[in-house]
Amino acid sequence: MRQLLLLALALAGVPVVRAQEPRLEGRLDPATRASVATLLDSARAAGLPTEPIVDKVLEGMTKRASPDRIVAAVRTLATDLGAARATLGPTASDDDVIAGASALRAGASGEMLARIKGVRGKAGLSVPLAVLSDLVARGVPVDTAASVIVHLAQGGASDADYTGLERGVARDIGAGAPPGAAAAIRARIVTTDGRGALTGAPASVPGKGPNASPKTPARP
Amino acid sequence: MHDEQDQLISQVADELRAPVALDPAFDARVMAAVRRAAPGRWRLALRWWTEPRPLRVSPLVGLACAAALAGVVVIGTRAVQPRSAPGTVPVPAAALVASTDAGEVVQFVLVAPQAATVALVGDFNDWDPGRTPLRVTAGGGVWSVNLPLRPGPHQYAFVVDGKEWRPDPAAPRAVTDDFGAPNSVIIVGGKST
Repeated sequence: MRQLLLLALALAGVPVVRAQEPRLEGRLDPATRASVATLLDSARAAGLPTEPIVDKVLEGMTKRASPDRIVAAVRTLATDLGAARATLGPTASDDDVIAGASALRAGASGEMLARIKGVRGKAGLSVPLAVLSDLVARGVPVDTAASVIVHLAQGGASDADYTGLERGVARDIGAGAPPGAAAAIRARIVTTDGRGALTGAPASVPGKGPNASPKTPARP
Repeated sequence: MHDEQDQLISQVADELRAPVALDPAFDARVMAAVRRAAPGRWRLALRWWTEPRPLRVSPLVGLACAAALAGVVVIGTRAVQPRSAPGTVPVPAAALVASTDAGEVVQFVLVAPQAATVALVGDFNDWDPGRTPLRVTAGGGVWSVNLPLRPGPHQYAFVVDGKEWRPDPAAPRAVTDDFGAPNSVIIVGGKST
């Protein structure tokens, strides 16, 4: 609770204790540096990973974004990180929180993240949540993408299975399959034909092949 | 009375039976008028195209014409579809080439024949264009670099000639675009659980 309060203070622009980030030294104007330093301190105090915040500042500087735009982007990221931490809990790794923030930004709900975490147990969430964001970016509806991730988790899928699924779906979409159907069929193949099929031949077109399935996978 | 009427009728009949004397130039005048009224070759051609007329075509010929028209439309549509940015050819840019304990060695490729320099920037090198330059290979135009990356998602982009930002044409875009220059995403797989 105290951590979230500190983060809220930082997002509101209230100065807290400021620490130095060597990679940003001498590269920002004083006002921007002060804002970023405040956000970094507050994120640290709230138990959030600070590396993606520094990374976002560096990206903005390299892309020659205005200071206001950099600060706005960092504030949004800190908010997403805070929401992901609140959903995944204090024991979640930094990588999981970062991937969770990205998934939230992609449109996933906190309930979806909690469901995936519940099914995955102690296994890391970084790769499954990254694949969730990737599927959404490729045009898979977020509900379908979340169901697919949960479906694989229930089958004990490994990180390699998730990346294999992502490559298979990308190949199917490239071959003309509808994104939602491609993701659903690939996920079904995992549990029906074994994991070897994950990166194998393109999934059959819905309603035409032996693995024909509905457009959305059955919810657990 | 009767005789007078018969005589009158005979006179009228004689007048009508008499041959009509025509002006010798009459034929010439008529032909000249006909020639003036006749439309020229271009006018006839225009009339052929513009005047409605019934057209009789068998169903088979009609279907063949429709198919040919559809083919022309499809080919024309494909010809005007947008292509990749100049100098950029979509190829599988980020591909796993080796696995190590620390992660995977990923090969990044960009086809940019017009470029003088290409650099890779991302969350793995602090977005510093000076740290990961690509080398041109295969006779020019194909730029590549191999880079070890730790497992997990990574955002990246190419910087062409030090100023032009290009996302990977073969990879999905990041869901966030905070600075008006989109990034691409690669997910480096971890070991099996």
